[in-house]
Amino acid sequence: MLARLRSLYRALTSRSDFEAGMTEELRFHIRQFAEDLVRSGVVPEEARRRARLEFGAIEAVKEECRGARGLLMPAELGRQFRYTARLLKKTPAFTATALLTVALCLGANLTIFAVLDSILLRGLPFPHAHELVTIFNTYPKAGVERDGSSLPNYYERRGGRIPAFSSLSIYAYGTAIVGEPGSAARDEIMRVSPEFFITLGIGPSLGRGFTEQETTFQTDAVVILSDGYWRQHFHGDLGVIGRQIRVDDNRRTVVGVLPPAFHFLSSDAQLYFPLSSRPEDRVSRYRHSGGDVIQTIARLKPGATLQEAQSQIDLQNARIELDDPQAELMASAGFRSLVVPLHADHVASIRPTLLLLQAGVLVLLVIGVVNLANLLLVRASARAKELAVRQALGASRRHLVCGVLVETTVITLAGGLLGLAAAAGGIRLLAALGADRLPLGARIAVDGRVALAALVGAVAMGIALAIPIVWFHLRGSGTALRSETRSATTGRAAQALRQGFVVAQIALAFVLLDGAGLLGLSLKRAMAVFPGFHPDHVLTGQISMVGKKYPDPLAGLAFSERLVGELERQPGGLAAGVSNNLPFSGYSGKSAATVKGYVLPPGEPPRGLYSYGVGGDYFRAMGFHLRAGRFLTSEDSRRPERVCVVDSDFARHYWPNSSPLGHQLLQGSETGPDREAFTVVGVVDSIKQAGLTDEAAQGAVYYPYIYRPENNIFVVVRAAVSPESLRMTMQKVVRDIDPGLAVNDIRSMDDRITDSLMARRSPALLAGLFCAIALLLTGIGTYGVLSYAVAQRNREIGLRMALGAQPRQIRSQFLALGLRLVIAGLALGSVGSWLVGKVIQAVLFHVPASSPVVLSCAGAIMASISLAACLVPAGRAALVSPMQVLTEQ
Amino acid sequence: MGKTAELLPGTLDLLILKAVSLRPLHGYGVLLRIQQICRDALKIPQGSLYPALYRLEHQGLIAAEWGQSDNNRRAKYYTLTAAGRARLREETAGWNRLASAIAAALNTKPEEV
Repeated sequence: MLARLRSLYRALTSRSDFEAGMTEELRFHIRQFAEDLVRSGVVPEEARRRARLEFGAIEAVKEECRGARGLLMPAELGRQFRYTARLLKKTPAFTATALLTVALCLGANLTIFAVLDSILLRGLPFPHAHELVTIFNTYPKAGVERDGSSLPNYYERRGGRIPAFSSLSIYAYGTAIVGEPGSAARDEIMRVSPEFFITLGIGPSLGRGFTEQETTFQTDAVVILSDGYWRQHFHGDLGVIGRQIRVDDNRRTVVGVLPPAFHFLSSDAQLYFPLSSRPEDRVSRYRHSGGDVIQTIARLKPGATLQEAQSQIDLQNARIELDDPQAELMASAGFRSLVVPLHADHVASIRPTLLLLQAGVLVLLVIGVVNLANLLLVRASARAKELAVRQALGASRRHLVCGVLVETTVITLAGGLLGLAAAAGGIRLLAALGADRLPLGARIAVDGRVALAALVGAVAMGIALAIPIVWFHLRGSGTALRSETRSATTGRAAQALRQGFVVAQIALAFVLLDGAGLLGLSLKRAMAVFPGFHPDHVLTGQISMVGKKYPDPLAGLAFSERLVGELERQPGGLAAGVSNNLPFSGYSGKSAATVKGYVLPPGEPPRGLYSYGVGGDYFRAMGFHLRAGRFLTSEDSRRPERVCVVDSDFARHYWPNSSPLGHQLLQGSETGPDREAFTVVGVVDSIKQAGLTDEAAQGAVYYPYIYRPENNIFVVVRAAVSPESLRMTMQKVVRDIDPGLAVNDIRSMDDRITDSLMARRSPALLAGLFCAIALLLTGIGTYGVLSYAVAQRNREIGLRMALGAQPRQIRSQFLALGLRLVIAGLALGSVGSWLVGKVIQAVLFHVPASSPVVLSCAGAIMASISLAACLVPAGRAALVSPMQVLTEQ
Repeated sequence: MGKTAELLPGTLDLLILKAVSLRPLHGYGVLLRIQQICRDALKIPQGSLYPALYRLEHQGLIAAEWGQSDNNRRAKYYTLTAAGRARLREETAGWNRLASAIAAALNTKPEEV
């Protein structure tokens, strides 16, 4: 087979060589022949004539030679294609069903594949992107899985100190108010270290990158523009270098412009600033103060492995910590700096879900193929005689196989084209479900790779579909001619194959249904979780206090006090507060606290606590429940006594048998002077912090805003009315206080919680959609096979009824057949469901791998749809008129 | 010259394989060799020789290479491949079985029935 393909390939690729060689070879033959004739005494003229005559018609020989090489295939294919097109045109209902099935199944697969490809498979847009890694600190035993990197980490590792890296740099995401007052807008920005663009391998296409001198606050007034910002605000002016733009009330000089192809992970940053710091921030005591703000990227030297880099980092950490007073504490927290591939790390959270969806949609594709195979088998039965006649008249097996292949591939290719269009629509649907907010989601598109996948998929489907049809024809060719009527042409085996297909279809659809049911139940359970506070009627927003008006925390405090007061005065505003972070915001904001008088038992790791700085009436606005003591108020930021509120998880851990009120704690992981200690004045119920499906709670501490000040604050307001109706009010209040500020990311707390479930909701919704298609296909499949069985046995039914069988008996006979298929399918499917449950267990929330409720619901749905599909054909069987059948024959 | 017999279908391939198995030959050489080893008892239609050669080459049973003929002309030489050798063995055995069976059948005398 391989040799033939190679021979055909050679002949096709060097067609002219082939032709020339053939001509030369034949001419050589005739010449030799003629010479031999001359040698035996024939006159040369006559010899040449006879040689040509005996050889025969050269052109006919050549044509036969071409045929022997398979070179006639294109012409033959064309004939087959025209024949197939004619056949398909004659049966529009079949053609439409087949095309729709392929388009739907392939389209769904291509849609998910487009997402999978752009997120998981396609490399990051940097040269040798596989060399890029990220390094982050982790303290798993303290409940802090990920804490970014710290400035000391960077200064200790850079400059070739880790030999496996050719370059190492840090960056931090952020936002800034950019532009002149009046036309200022809040833009995403990134702060990056000088070698950032060198590490990535793509630097400014205009101007230069940042220098070492630009990493202090006195010298960092420079900016690199993204291509988009440059085009939009400078109209692509090549003289932009040296011009200034206003950022957060300061002026920065443009030193570079990035090329359009520069996209760092999922960042939409418009501007890049140097990541500045003070020398005193770079010292070892801040080594563990990453706070997940600063992130590290590095490029492995060619040939260096991840393991080498990891062991070098481990070695350096061990060496550095020899004289670090915090070392022991950090070791008990399980501290390590992990080196992981940048791309894989960025998409790690979404990877299992995407693979799961792709697997689910592949099952759908199999169901579609099986369905189509069944339809084609029925059609093949109808054409069995025609094909048998053609074979008897000399059509070769190759001819027959070729014909069937052309037919199936024409259907799948046309369907695949429609599927590609469906995928383009599907991607838009996914965007509505939040796919573009996924990591790297912005680059999801139907591109050449997806088109190639469509082509490969369609051809593979065409071949898969051809197999049972070819089997059927080759097997039945002997008997088809002998039998008199169509009904006798299909053997028992073909019938069994069709029924097997239906069983397989029911089983697969059942598995899919069960999987979707588990995801749905898991979503329902997650949604039913009480977050620990009352998120209804709460509107939230983010404000970034930047510029000269906010030089210190006190200015921020003053702004927040005015803001809270104004909001509470608005009609409908019940209570308002501010916080440096919100639950469900996506920022972890964990840090340590030290309880006075509590001796850490040996081996117990320090705890990473959610630490908030809150102002105004934050607790009442959020709907917290007070367990003991009092809430924090605005005044707590102004009073000399330091107070704090802890949550019940925290209280239970440190004071399991007594009241925490009156006890003292310190921020950070070390004890300090008494005057810096906070007295616990209240205990609130613990709440879900990162998401509704949080399991392990480490506790939370709430400090007055002034002790955890941040320029970026969240504002919350509890409304007597619908929270959305306060949206304009919130914006107006902020603008009235400071026209230079704006609120963004305004959402109700309910919406924030709902959005946090996106990673569960969207897959469940998609799985539901796949199920609906699968059920439809299975219904069609079952109906088709039963209908055919009835049509085939029309004469038998008629005879039996003429002999006295009751319509009821006939009907129940076919229903019993349907029931047998359904039961076999469900039995097979429950085994599959059990396996699938095991596989997806990891993404389920409070749902067992095989839930009897889900299984029985899925089984009931499956059974009723399949049996409903049997009812019509069975009823038709009961209506067979004996007279008509008997006179027909 | 004696009487010539018509070629049975399928036997040309077998004869070509045999001819080529003796030594590499060009197309015309194959024709001469077959005539020689059949002692001119079979009539080989020249026009069907080349399609058969091309088909066998396409099936990987023989391989072709350009070389120099005895009188220094460029000619395409065919050699038997490993697959061709196996096929020749198989077909020879099959042919011998068939031939002896037919011969035995045709030699049956009335008293043996």
